[in-house]
Amino acid sequence: MRAIIIDDERLARKELNSLLEDYKEIEIIGEAVNAEDAEEKILKLNPDLIFLDIQMPGKTGFELLEGLDSVPKVIFTTAYDEYALKAFDYNALDYLLKPIQKDRLEDCMKKLLNEDEQAVSEEAGGEAKKLGANDQVFVKDGDRCWFVTLSNIRLFESDGNYIKVYFDNFKPMIHKSLNALDERLDDRTFFRASRKHIINLGWVETIEPWFNGGLMVQLKGGDKIEVSRRQAARFKDMMSL
Amino acid sequence: MKKERLYWILQLTGWSLYGLGSVLLYSFVQGQIPSGLIEGEIFQVSFYIISTHLLRVLIKRGKWISLPLGTLILRIALSIVILSISNYVFLLGVSFWLDTLNRQDFMAINAIISIIAPLSMYFLWSLTYMTLHYFQWYKKSLEYQAAFNEIELNYLKSQLNPHFIFNALNSIRALVGEDPDKCKEAITQLSNILRNSLILDKKRLISFSDEMRTVNDYLALETIRFEERLKTKFRFHPDSSQYNVPPMMIQTLVENAIKHGISNLTAGGVIDINTAVVDRSLIIQIKNSGKYKNGAKIKKTGTGHGLVNTKKRLELIYGDAASFKICNIENNTVLTEIKIPETF
Repeated sequence: MRAIIIDDERLARKELNSLLEDYKEIEIIGEAVNAEDAEEKILKLNPDLIFLDIQMPGKTGFELLEGLDSVPKVIFTTAYDEYALKAFDYNALDYLLKPIQKDRLEDCMKKLLNEDEQAVSEEAGGEAKKLGANDQVFVKDGDRCWFVTLSNIRLFESDGNYIKVYFDNFKPMIHKSLNALDERLDDRTFFRASRKHIINLGWVETIEPWFNGGLMVQLKGGDKIEVSRRQAARFKDMMSL
Repeated sequence: MKKERLYWILQLTGWSLYGLGSVLLYSFVQGQIPSGLIEGEIFQVSFYIISTHLLRVLIKRGKWISLPLGTLILRIALSIVILSISNYVFLLGVSFWLDTLNRQDFMAINAIISIIAPLSMYFLWSLTYMTLHYFQWYKKSLEYQAAFNEIELNYLKSQLNPHFIFNALNSIRALVGEDPDKCKEAITQLSNILRNSLILDKKRLISFSDEMRTVNDYLALETIRFEERLKTKFRFHPDSSQYNVPPMMIQTLVENAIKHGISNLTAGGVIDINTAVVDRSLIIQIKNSGKYKNGAKIKKTGTGHGLVNTKKRLELIYGDAASFKICNIENNTVLTEIKIPETF
């Protein structure tokens, strides 16, 4: 597993580096001293995992994640940050408190490597740049944060300069344009239903003909989305054998 | 029950003195003690004692003190008028019983005088009672205010930021292998800071030099963390050491300057601490690289308590004699300034 350590303090990076020496599976391919540096290195090196400090000069760790289209696996490292950790009450992601305990790191690594084995067997290859169903995105809305696997997202809805992301019982907003997002998503999973909506084809429950040659699609969970006439033709093409 | 005893002493001696005074005055004016005067005064004094005690019971039971002032005055006025009238009726009864009743007692002018005289006595009694009561209440509220200030002051005392402690420990841990001597020094510095933050619970003020020792240790530890990103400068007025400051106050402000200034700057910056003595006050200036964003950031990260607390602490300890300000000055620099008066 190729990893990058992101922390503004040299000694903190050094300490984590030396702790990770025991784990041959983890290969540290780079270090970054702030969010900007990290963004560059993540794009260039495409790591599987990042160790991320939350408080850094310039952008915080959260802001870094918000700016990434697709996030690698993330392990937060923080000294003491009630505020930041509270955001993740509902998430199954991992964080390490500095100074890092060996046992805690051991647990964290075990969990990570287990998940990794499963993920590898599922991965289908695919185009490098497109986001597949197994990729995860980082979503932050106010005080709450989520790592969401794309297959769990049933709908993207544009709302001004923002996109509402529908998953589970939540619909937080991300600052992005629907067109930009559409380009990054895999066509086989996500379909641009209209100017305002992108739907996850895996979540489609029923399809009915609608006015003007359009279609009305109902998603699992009850959301109803109208497919415009222009897109309806493409939709039929895609869905038929 | 100190209060209850005081009441009875005042009640009994007050009215007895009044009775004695009336008898003496009457005898002096008349040149002799008229018959029945002493008995009459004994009845009168007893009636006063009993009736005013009844009034007190009413005031306490009905919690009149907590009523609005207007209602309270109206109630007391009404009660003392009723008491004065019953006093007159009672005295008529006593006269009848002693067989000293004569027709003059029923004349309107005598009746009015016999009512107005006790009315003024009741009025004086109520005035004394209420004054004593308010005095006591005022004293209690002052005591309460003092206790409250003490509690608030304790609450406001700056505590070491846990974020700092754990970050420092993490750097120290990394230093173990890299530079054992520096590591040992760092452990001493951290223990000094921890000791001072424990001692501070017990002290209201400490000397400026003691406070600066803590600040120095603190900055030394932060320099290990931030390395070349943190530079420090000091310039102290030679008389600074004669002044006392609230413990950990300068430390908190320096910590703020690092947390919101230096740690947010990729290239780091400078912390510059200097003092001056002006008009028997110590002026401490802390300058840091960065920009002060009033309000905007406070809500987002839940900080800003440090500054508000510092302001309140100064106010509670020194009143108007101390001051605090924070503002942006030239070259992307934030200036934090506190003025502390001389204390003995």
